[in-house]
Amino acid sequence: MPKTVRLFIKAGILYFLTGSLLAFISQIPSINTGALLLPVYWHMIVVGWITQIIMGVSLWMFPRSANQKRRTTDKFTIQCSFWLLNTGLILRFLSEPFIPLFPADHIVKWTVLISSILQISAILLYVIEIWPRVRGKISKN
Amino acid sequence: MPIQSVWMIRLSLIWLLIASGLGALLFIHKTIPLHPSIWSLLPLHYEIAIWGWIVQFVLGTAYWIFPRFLEGEPRGSKFWADSIGWIFNIGLIISLTSYLFFGINYLPLIGRGLILMSLFIFIFLIWSRVVSYRNNELKT
Repeated sequence: MPKTVRLFIKAGILYFLTGSLLAFISQIPSINTGALLLPVYWHMIVVGWITQIIMGVSLWMFPRSANQKRRTTDKFTIQCSFWLLNTGLILRFLSEPFIPLFPADHIVKWTVLISSILQISAILLYVIEIWPRVRGKISKN
Repeated sequence: MPIQSVWMIRLSLIWLLIASGLGALLFIHKTIPLHPSIWSLLPLHYEIAIWGWIVQFVLGTAYWIFPRFLEGEPRGSKFWADSIGWIFNIGLIISLTSYLFFGINYLPLIGRGLILMSLFIFIFLIWSRVVSYRNNELKT
């Protein structure tokens, strides 16, 4: 299993744990996080965990392109995709709860903007990498 | 990879790009208001992410990777396998359209009905492939 694939899967597991922890904390009556952490929780589960596990496993298991000989090699685009996605997600989780509290703050605005660009770029790189690997069986004749 | 899986996985990747684009738009709109009607895209964002991306990717991959039959068509009827992707995506598009045209009451029902129908066909095809052929002995 290539290193970046391991990172995708381990990061996915950590987000699953953190998302579940957040869901638990939100149920404690004295710590009412209300709607502030709800989008953070959903994105931890859907993007951080499920999407990231799908990305990691598909990059590992899907047929390799003709010029990629070994399953264990990491491509630069995959590494970029991992780091962009996770930096984008962390920036999102750090900024999103503060949007209603500081709606006019420039730091929050810029963090949201940068986080969005990083996440979109990561998804785009993943699709560029995996698209040619989603193909039918190539005949040897 | 069978052609049915190729189409379902590629369509799921297209839905992933659309869901991410909508998500970025909604997230930016929280701090920099872009247009008052942007919030109406929120249900589309999560419908596309859950059904178009995650569920469809899983269906396409499962159809490809589960054990094949030892005799006859390796993955069962090709006609029914082709129909899964078509019915699922038409159902999803109708479901999404229903969020934009509130007046047409029967659109969500048709959309959800088609998605449900495609899932029934998928289960019908995959059920008998949930087996093990270890030591040449069929275990269901």
